[in-house]
Amino acid sequence: MSAERGDGGRPARVYAPDFLTELFRNPLEPGYVAAAERKRRNPPPAWRTRSARSVSLVVLVLLGFLLAVAYRQTMEEEPGRSQARSGLVEQIKERERQTDELSARADQLREEVGRQRDAALSGSTAARLRDLEAGTGMGRVRGDGLVVRLADAPGDADAVTGTGAGPPQVLYTDLQGVANALWSAGAEAVAINGQRLTATSTIRSAGKAILVDFRPVTGPYEVAAIGPGSMKRRFEQSRIAALMREVADKTGLSFGVREADDLTLPAAPEPRLRYAEPPGSPSPSPSGDRSASPGPSGSGTSPSPSGGGR
Amino acid sequence: MIAVLALLAGVVLGVWLDPTVPAALQPYLPIAVVAALDAVFGGVRAKLDRIFDDKQFVVSFISNVLVAALIVYLGDQLGVGGQLSTGVVVVLGVRIFGNVAAIRRHLFRA
Repeated sequence: MSAERGDGGRPARVYAPDFLTELFRNPLEPGYVAAAERKRRNPPPAWRTRSARSVSLVVLVLLGFLLAVAYRQTMEEEPGRSQARSGLVEQIKERERQTDELSARADQLREEVGRQRDAALSGSTAARLRDLEAGTGMGRVRGDGLVVRLADAPGDADAVTGTGAGPPQVLYTDLQGVANALWSAGAEAVAINGQRLTATSTIRSAGKAILVDFRPVTGPYEVAAIGPGSMKRRFEQSRIAALMREVADKTGLSFGVREADDLTLPAAPEPRLRYAEPPGSPSPSPSGDRSASPGPSGSGTSPSPSGGGR
Repeated sequence: MIAVLALLAGVVLGVWLDPTVPAALQPYLPIAVVAALDAVFGGVRAKLDRIFDDKQFVVSFISNVLVAALIVYLGDQLGVGGQLSTGVVVVLGVRIFGNVAAIRRHLFRA
Protein backbone atom coordinates (compact mmCIF):
# COMPACT_ATOMS: atom_id res chain seq x y z
CA MET A 1 0.00 0.00 0.00
CA SER A 2 2.79 2.36 0.86
CA ALA A 3 4.41 1.51 -2.44
CA GLU A 4 1.30 2.59 -4.27
CA ARG A 5 1.37 5.86 -2.46
CA GLY A 6 5.11 6.29 -2.80
CA ASP A 7 4.97 7.75 -6.27
CA GLY A 8 2.97 10.67 -4.96
CA GLY A 9 -0.30 9.90 -6.69
CA ARG A 10 -3.42 8.62 -4.99
CA PRO A 11 -3.78 4.89 -4.99
CA ALA A 12 -5.60 3.66 -8.00
CA ARG A 13 -9.25 3.34 -7.15
CA VAL A 14 -10.42 -0.20 -7.44
CA TYR A 15 -14.11 -0.75 -7.70
CA ALA A 16 -14.20 -3.94 -5.72
CA PRO A 17 -17.48 -5.69 -6.00
CA ASP A 18 -17.55 -6.77 -2.42
CA PHE A 19 -17.28 -4.68 0.65
CA LEU A 20 -14.99 -6.91 2.64
CA THR A 21 -12.25 -6.98 0.04
CA GLU A 22 -12.35 -3.20 -0.04
CA LEU A 23 -12.21 -3.14 3.73
CA PHE A 24 -9.13 -5.33 3.81
CA ARG A 25 -7.43 -3.46 1.02
CA ASN A 26 -7.85 0.03 2.26
CA PRO A 27 -8.11 0.31 6.02
CA LEU A 28 -6.51 3.77 6.16
CA GLU A 29 -8.78 6.71 6.64
CA PRO A 30 -8.81 8.45 3.28
CA GLY A 31 -9.07 11.63 5.31
CA TYR A 32 -5.39 11.49 6.20
CA VAL A 33 -4.39 11.50 2.57
CA ALA A 34 -6.77 14.34 1.83
CA ALA A 35 -5.52 16.34 4.79
CA ALA A 36 -1.91 15.85 3.75
CA GLU A 37 -2.80 17.02 0.29
CA ARG A 38 -4.49 20.08 1.65
CA LYS A 39 -1.59 20.85 3.95
CA ARG A 40 0.88 20.61 1.13
CA ARG A 41 -1.10 23.00 -0.99
CA ASN A 42 -1.52 25.71 1.63
CA PRO A 43 0.20 25.15 4.96
CA PRO A 44 -1.98 26.16 7.93
CA PRO A 45 -0.85 28.90 10.34
CA ALA A 46 1.39 27.85 13.22
CA TRP A 47 -1.10 28.58 16.00
CA ARG A 48 -3.59 26.30 14.36
CA THR A 49 -1.12 23.45 14.15
CA ARG A 50 -0.23 23.92 17.78
CA SER A 51 -3.82 23.98 19.04
CA ALA A 52 -4.69 20.93 16.94
CA ARG A 53 -1.68 19.18 18.42
CA SER A 54 -2.76 19.95 21.97
CA VAL A 55 -6.28 18.76 21.22
CA SER A 56 -4.95 15.47 19.94
CA LEU A 57 -2.85 15.13 23.07
CA VAL A 58 -5.99 15.64 25.12
CA VAL A 59 -7.64 12.95 23.05
CA LEU A 60 -4.75 10.63 23.78
CA VAL A 61 -5.10 11.28 27.49
CA LEU A 62 -8.76 10.53 27.09
CA LEU A 63 -7.93 7.30 25.32
CA GLY A 64 -5.60 6.18 28.09
CA PHE A 65 -8.30 7.03 30.57
CA LEU A 66 -10.81 5.02 28.58
CA LEU A 67 -8.50 2.03 28.42
CA ALA A 68 -7.85 2.09 32.14
CA VAL A 69 -11.52 2.48 32.98
CA ALA A 70 -12.56 -0.30 30.63
CA TYR A 71 -9.91 -2.60 32.03
CA ARG A 72 -10.91 -1.94 35.60
CA GLN A 73 -14.55 -2.32 34.71
CA THR A 74 -13.99 -5.71 33.16
CA MET A 75 -11.88 -6.83 36.10
CA GLU A 76 -14.49 -5.68 38.56
CA GLU A 77 -17.34 -7.41 36.83
CA GLU A 78 -15.69 -10.78 37.06
CA PRO A 79 -15.55 -11.19 40.84
CA GLY A 80 -19.05 -9.75 40.96
CA ARG A 81 -20.30 -12.59 38.84
CA SER A 82 -18.56 -15.30 40.81
CA GLN A 83 -19.59 -13.60 44.03
CA ALA A 84 -23.21 -13.75 43.00
CA ARG A 85 -22.80 -17.40 42.19
CA SER A 86 -21.15 -18.29 45.47
CA GLY A 87 -23.79 -16.25 47.26
CA LEU A 88 -26.49 -18.34 45.66
CA VAL A 89 -24.68 -21.55 46.55
CA GLU A 90 -24.43 -20.30 50.10
CA GLN A 91 -28.15 -19.58 50.20
CA ILE A 92 -28.98 -23.02 48.87
CA LYS A 93 -26.81 -24.67 51.49
CA GLU A 94 -28.36 -22.55 54.20
CA ARG A 95 -31.89 -23.42 53.10
CA GLU A 96 -31.04 -27.10 52.91
CA ARG A 97 -29.70 -26.96 56.42
CA GLN A 98 -32.86 -25.24 57.58
CA THR A 99 -34.97 -27.86 55.86
CA ASP A 100 -33.05 -30.65 57.53
CA GLU A 101 -33.39 -28.98 60.89
CA LEU A 102 -37.10 -28.44 60.45
CA SER A 103 -37.74 -31.96 59.25
CA ALA A 104 -35.76 -33.34 62.19
CA ARG A 105 -37.93 -31.23 64.45
CA ALA A 106 -41.04 -32.45 62.67
CA ASP A 107 -39.95 -36.03 63.23
CA GLN A 108 -39.36 -35.30 66.86
CA LEU A 109 -42.76 -33.73 67.25
CA ARG A 110 -44.38 -36.58 65.41
CA GLU A 111 -42.80 -39.04 67.80
CA GLU A 112 -44.04 -36.95 70.66
CA VAL A 113 -47.54 -36.97 69.22
CA GLY A 114 -47.33 -40.71 68.80
CA ARG A 115 -46.29 -41.16 72.40
CA GLN A 116 -49.08 -38.96 73.68
CA ARG A 117 -51.57 -40.79 71.54
CA ASP A 118 -50.39 -44.16 72.78
CA ALA A 119 -50.78 -42.90 76.30
CA ALA A 120 -54.29 -41.68 75.58
CA LEU A 121 -55.49 -44.71 73.68
CA SER A 122 -56.22 -48.12 75.04
CA GLY A 123 -53.65 -50.81 74.35
CA SER A 124 -55.33 -52.70 71.55
CA THR A 125 -56.29 -49.59 69.61
CA ALA A 126 -52.81 -48.24 69.93
CA ALA A 127 -51.38 -51.51 68.71
CA ARG A 128 -53.74 -51.51 65.74
CA LEU A 129 -52.76 -47.96 64.92
CA ARG A 130 -49.09 -48.82 65.15
CA ASP A 131 -49.65 -51.69 62.78
CA LEU A 132 -51.41 -49.41 60.34
CA GLU A 133 -48.65 -46.86 60.63
CA ALA A 134 -46.01 -49.47 60.01
CA GLY A 135 -47.88 -50.67 56.94
CA THR A 136 -48.41 -47.23 55.47
CA GLY A 137 -44.93 -46.00 56.18
CA MET A 138 -45.97 -43.47 58.79
CA GLY A 139 -44.07 -45.16 61.56
CA ARG A 140 -40.55 -46.36 62.13
CA VAL A 141 -40.17 -50.11 61.74
CA ARG A 142 -37.56 -52.67 62.63
CA GLY A 143 -37.06 -56.13 61.34
CA ASP A 144 -35.12 -58.50 59.16
CA GLY A 145 -35.07 -58.20 55.43
CA LEU A 146 -33.07 -57.47 52.34
CA VAL A 147 -30.73 -54.75 51.18
CA VAL A 148 -30.40 -54.28 47.44
CA ARG A 149 -27.38 -52.23 46.55
CA LEU A 150 -27.01 -50.45 43.21
CA ALA A 151 -24.08 -48.26 42.26
CA ASP A 152 -22.91 -46.42 39.17
CA ALA A 153 -20.07 -47.92 37.24
CA PRO A 154 -16.72 -46.50 38.30
CA GLY A 155 -16.08 -43.43 36.17
CA ASP A 156 -13.01 -43.21 34.02
CA ALA A 157 -14.38 -41.52 30.93
CA ASP A 158 -15.77 -38.76 33.10
CA ALA A 159 -12.46 -37.05 33.70
CA VAL A 160 -11.65 -36.82 30.02
CA THR A 161 -14.90 -35.82 28.44
CA GLY A 162 -16.20 -33.74 31.29
CA THR A 163 -19.93 -34.14 31.30
CA GLY A 164 -20.01 -36.27 28.17
CA ALA A 165 -21.46 -39.71 28.02
CA GLY A 166 -19.83 -40.68 31.28
CA PRO A 167 -19.92 -44.06 32.90
CA PRO A 168 -23.11 -46.11 32.94
CA GLN A 169 -25.35 -44.89 35.69
CA VAL A 170 -28.21 -46.24 37.70
CA LEU A 171 -31.44 -44.85 36.31
CA TYR A 172 -34.49 -43.91 38.26
CA THR A 173 -36.38 -46.63 36.47
CA ASP A 174 -33.97 -49.17 37.97
CA LEU A 175 -34.83 -47.95 41.44
CA GLN A 176 -38.51 -48.00 40.60
CA GLY A 177 -38.25 -51.54 39.30
CA VAL A 178 -36.34 -52.75 42.34
CA ALA A 179 -38.78 -51.10 44.72
CA ASN A 180 -41.77 -52.54 42.91
CA ALA A 181 -40.20 -56.00 42.79
CA LEU A 182 -39.55 -55.82 46.50
CA TRP A 183 -43.15 -54.86 47.17
CA SER A 184 -44.39 -57.71 45.04
CA ALA A 185 -41.97 -60.08 46.75
CA GLY A 186 -43.81 -59.40 49.95
CA ALA A 187 -41.95 -56.49 51.48
CA GLU A 188 -43.77 -54.73 54.28
CA ALA A 189 -41.62 -51.64 54.31
CA VAL A 190 -39.16 -50.25 51.77
CA ALA A 191 -36.71 -47.40 52.01
CA ILE A 192 -34.22 -45.99 49.52
CA ASN A 193 -31.11 -44.54 51.11
CA GLY A 194 -33.02 -44.11 54.32
CA GLN A 195 -36.06 -42.55 52.68
CA ARG A 196 -39.13 -44.54 53.45
CA LEU A 197 -41.50 -45.23 50.61
CA THR A 198 -45.22 -44.96 51.04
CA ALA A 199 -48.12 -45.57 48.74
CA THR A 200 -47.78 -42.08 47.31
CA SER A 201 -44.00 -41.94 47.02
CA THR A 202 -42.43 -40.92 43.77
CA ILE A 203 -39.13 -41.98 42.26
CA ARG A 204 -38.21 -39.80 39.37
CA SER A 205 -35.32 -38.07 37.76
CA ALA A 206 -34.60 -34.38 37.46
CA GLY A 207 -31.67 -33.82 35.19
CA LYS A 208 -28.94 -36.09 36.44
CA ALA A 209 -30.30 -36.45 39.95
CA ILE A 210 -32.74 -39.03 41.17
CA LEU A 211 -35.45 -37.72 43.44
CA VAL A 212 -37.28 -39.84 45.93
CA ASP A 213 -40.27 -37.93 47.21
CA PHE A 214 -38.68 -34.78 45.80
CA ARG A 215 -35.52 -35.20 47.83
CA PRO A 216 -32.37 -36.00 45.93
CA VAL A 217 -30.61 -39.28 46.61
CA THR A 218 -27.11 -40.05 45.40
CA GLY A 219 -25.35 -43.29 44.63
CA PRO A 220 -24.58 -45.85 45.81
CA TYR A 221 -28.26 -46.56 46.28
CA GLU A 222 -29.37 -48.93 48.98
CA VAL A 223 -32.91 -50.16 48.78
CA ALA A 224 -33.73 -51.73 52.11
CA ALA A 225 -36.84 -53.79 52.60
CA ILE A 226 -38.31 -55.55 55.61
CA GLY A 227 -40.34 -58.59 54.89
CA PRO A 228 -40.75 -62.33 55.28
CA GLY A 229 -37.91 -64.79 54.81
CA SER A 230 -39.16 -65.87 51.40
CA MET A 231 -38.67 -62.36 50.09
CA LYS A 232 -35.10 -62.87 48.94
CA ARG A 233 -35.96 -65.92 46.89
CA ARG A 234 -38.95 -64.24 45.32
CA PHE A 235 -37.02 -61.08 44.59
CA GLU A 236 -34.22 -63.04 42.96
CA GLN A 237 -36.76 -64.65 40.68
CA SER A 238 -38.18 -61.33 39.61
CA ARG A 239 -37.58 -59.94 36.19
CA ILE A 240 -35.89 -56.79 37.39
CA ALA A 241 -33.31 -58.75 39.36
CA ALA A 242 -32.38 -60.78 36.28
CA LEU A 243 -32.32 -57.62 34.20
CA MET A 244 -30.13 -55.76 36.64
CA ARG A 245 -27.71 -58.68 36.87
CA GLU A 246 -27.38 -58.68 33.12
CA VAL A 247 -26.93 -54.90 33.02
CA ALA A 248 -24.34 -55.15 35.76
CA ASP A 249 -22.45 -57.81 33.83
CA LYS A 250 -22.44 -55.79 30.66
CA THR A 251 -21.82 -52.26 31.86
CA GLY A 252 -19.98 -52.51 35.13
CA LEU A 253 -22.77 -51.22 37.32
CA SER A 254 -22.75 -52.93 40.64
CA PHE A 255 -25.83 -54.73 41.81
CA GLY A 256 -25.99 -56.82 44.94
CA VAL A 257 -28.63 -58.40 47.13
CA ARG A 258 -27.92 -59.39 50.68
CA GLU A 259 -30.00 -60.41 53.62
CA ALA A 260 -29.78 -58.10 56.58
CA ASP A 261 -30.92 -58.61 60.14
CA ASP A 262 -32.43 -56.02 62.35
CA LEU A 263 -32.93 -53.27 59.81
CA THR A 264 -34.45 -50.03 61.01
CA LEU A 265 -36.42 -48.06 58.49
CA PRO A 266 -37.37 -44.51 59.41
CA ALA A 267 -40.85 -43.09 59.08
CA ALA A 268 -41.76 -41.31 55.90
CA PRO A 269 -42.31 -37.59 56.12
CA GLU A 270 -45.80 -36.61 57.11
CA PRO A 271 -48.03 -36.84 54.07
CA ARG A 272 -49.78 -33.76 52.91
CA LEU A 273 -53.43 -33.86 53.79
CA ARG A 274 -55.24 -34.25 50.51
CA TYR A 275 -58.78 -34.99 51.50
CA ALA A 276 -60.72 -34.30 54.63
CA GLU A 277 -64.25 -33.62 55.70
CA PRO A 278 -65.18 -31.61 58.71
CA PRO A 279 -66.95 -33.66 61.35
CA GLY A 280 -70.74 -33.50 61.09
CA SER A 281 -71.45 -31.45 64.16
CA PRO A 282 -69.23 -29.47 66.42
CA SER A 283 -70.98 -30.93 69.46
CA PRO A 284 -68.52 -32.48 71.90
CA SER A 285 -67.78 -36.10 71.21
CA PRO A 286 -68.77 -38.40 74.02
CA SER A 287 -65.39 -39.31 75.27
CA GLY A 288 -61.74 -38.81 74.61
CA ASP A 289 -61.17 -42.22 73.14
CA ARG A 290 -61.78 -41.12 69.59
CA SER A 291 -58.80 -40.18 67.60
CA ALA A 292 -59.31 -36.81 66.05
CA SER A 293 -57.84 -37.57 62.69
CA PRO A 294 -60.39 -37.78 59.92
CA GLY A 295 -58.97 -40.75 58.14
CA PRO A 296 -59.77 -41.62 54.57
CA SER A 297 -62.21 -44.17 55.85
CA GLY A 298 -64.34 -41.16 56.69
CA SER A 299 -65.27 -40.80 60.30
CA GLY A 300 -66.89 -37.58 59.26
CA THR A 301 -70.58 -38.23 59.00
CA SER A 302 -71.15 -41.18 61.21
CA PRO A 303 -70.05 -40.44 64.71
CA SER A 304 -68.13 -43.42 65.94
CA PRO A 305 -67.96 -46.76 64.20
CA SER A 306 -64.52 -47.04 62.73
CA GLY A 307 -62.40 -45.00 65.06
CA GLY A 308 -64.23 -45.64 68.31
CA GLY A 309 -62.90 -47.74 71.13
CA ARG A 310 -63.67 -51.36 70.73
CA MET B 1 7.07 10.46 22.42
CA ILE B 2 4.80 13.11 23.86
CA ALA B 3 1.87 11.10 22.55
CA VAL B 4 2.99 8.02 24.48
CA LEU B 5 3.44 10.12 27.60
CA ALA B 6 -0.04 11.52 27.16
CA LEU B 7 -1.42 8.02 26.80
CA LEU B 8 0.36 6.91 29.97
CA ALA B 9 -0.89 10.00 31.78
CA GLY B 10 -4.42 9.02 30.80
CA VAL B 11 -3.93 5.48 32.09
CA VAL B 12 -2.55 6.79 35.38
CA LEU B 13 -5.43 9.21 35.64
CA GLY B 14 -7.93 6.43 35.05
CA VAL B 15 -6.34 4.21 37.67
CA TRP B 16 -5.98 7.03 40.13
CA LEU B 17 -9.44 8.52 39.80
CA ASP B 18 -11.07 5.11 39.54
CA PRO B 19 -14.39 6.40 38.24
CA THR B 20 -17.47 4.24 38.32
CA VAL B 21 -19.09 3.81 34.95
CA PRO B 22 -22.82 4.48 34.99
CA ALA B 23 -24.78 1.31 34.40
CA ALA B 24 -26.42 2.78 31.31
CA LEU B 25 -23.04 3.29 29.63
CA GLN B 26 -21.50 -0.04 30.55
CA PRO B 27 -22.53 -1.97 27.43
CA TYR B 28 -20.91 0.68 25.22
CA LEU B 29 -17.57 0.78 26.96
CA PRO B 30 -15.92 -2.24 25.27
CA ILE B 31 -17.14 -1.17 21.84
CA ALA B 32 -15.92 2.38 22.47
CA VAL B 33 -12.51 1.02 23.41
CA VAL B 34 -12.28 -1.02 20.22
CA ALA B 35 -13.36 1.96 18.13
CA ALA B 36 -10.77 4.14 19.86
CA LEU B 37 -8.10 1.55 19.18
CA ASP B 38 -9.05 1.65 15.52
CA ALA B 39 -8.56 5.41 15.45
CA VAL B 40 -5.22 5.07 17.25
CA PHE B 41 -3.83 2.48 14.88
CA GLY B 42 -5.01 4.56 11.96
CA GLY B 43 -3.15 7.50 13.47
CA VAL B 44 0.02 5.49 14.05
CA ARG B 45 -0.03 4.30 10.50
CA ALA B 46 -0.56 7.80 9.19
CA LYS B 47 2.32 8.95 11.34
CA LEU B 48 4.56 6.35 9.77
CA ASP B 49 3.26 7.34 6.36
CA ARG B 50 4.21 10.91 7.35
CA ILE B 51 0.75 12.17 6.66
CA PHE B 52 -0.47 12.35 10.25
CA ASP B 53 -2.90 15.13 10.85
CA ASP B 54 -4.07 16.14 14.31
CA LYS B 55 -7.50 17.32 13.27
CA GLN B 56 -8.13 14.18 11.29
CA PHE B 57 -7.05 12.06 14.26
CA VAL B 58 -9.27 13.87 16.75
CA VAL B 59 -12.27 13.79 14.46
CA SER B 60 -11.83 10.12 13.58
CA PHE B 61 -11.38 9.20 17.22
CA ILE B 62 -14.49 10.96 18.43
CA SER B 63 -16.66 9.96 15.51
CA ASN B 64 -15.51 6.34 15.73
CA VAL B 65 -16.40 6.12 19.40
CA LEU B 66 -19.71 7.86 18.96
CA VAL B 67 -20.77 5.93 15.88
CA ALA B 68 -19.81 2.60 17.42
CA ALA B 69 -21.79 3.43 20.56
CA LEU B 70 -24.70 4.64 18.46
CA ILE B 71 -24.78 1.44 16.43
CA VAL B 72 -24.80 -0.66 19.56
CA TYR B 73 -27.50 1.53 21.04
CA LEU B 74 -29.61 1.22 17.92
CA GLY B 75 -29.08 -2.52 17.93
CA ASP B 76 -30.21 -2.70 21.53
CA GLN B 77 -33.36 -0.80 20.68
CA LEU B 78 -34.05 -3.04 17.70
CA GLY B 79 -33.34 -6.21 19.63
CA VAL B 80 -30.21 -7.15 17.70
CA GLY B 81 -27.71 -5.55 20.05
CA GLY B 82 -25.48 -8.58 20.38
CA GLN B 83 -25.29 -9.24 16.65
CA LEU B 84 -24.70 -5.61 15.77
CA SER B 85 -21.92 -5.24 18.30
CA THR B 86 -20.36 -8.39 16.85
CA GLY B 87 -20.58 -6.77 13.44
CA VAL B 88 -18.97 -3.58 14.72
CA VAL B 89 -16.19 -5.51 16.38
CA VAL B 90 -15.56 -7.52 13.22
CA VAL B 91 -15.35 -4.42 11.02
CA LEU B 92 -13.14 -2.53 13.45
CA GLY B 93 -11.02 -5.63 13.98
CA VAL B 94 -10.45 -5.95 10.25
CA ARG B 95 -9.45 -2.30 10.05
CA ILE B 96 -7.12 -2.60 12.99
CA PHE B 97 -5.61 -5.68 11.44
CA GLY B 98 -5.04 -3.92 8.15
CA ASN B 99 -3.50 -0.90 9.81
CA VAL B 100 -1.24 -3.03 11.98
CA ALA B 101 -0.16 -4.91 8.86
CA ALA B 102 0.76 -1.59 7.23
CA ILE B 103 2.62 -0.49 10.35
CA ARG B 104 4.47 -3.78 10.36
CA ARG B 105 5.46 -3.25 6.76
CA HIS B 106 6.78 0.15 7.67
CA LEU B 107 8.76 -1.04 10.64
CA PHE B 108 10.19 -4.29 9.38
CA ARG B 109 9.98 -3.79 5.63
CA ALA B 110 8.30 -7.14 5.46
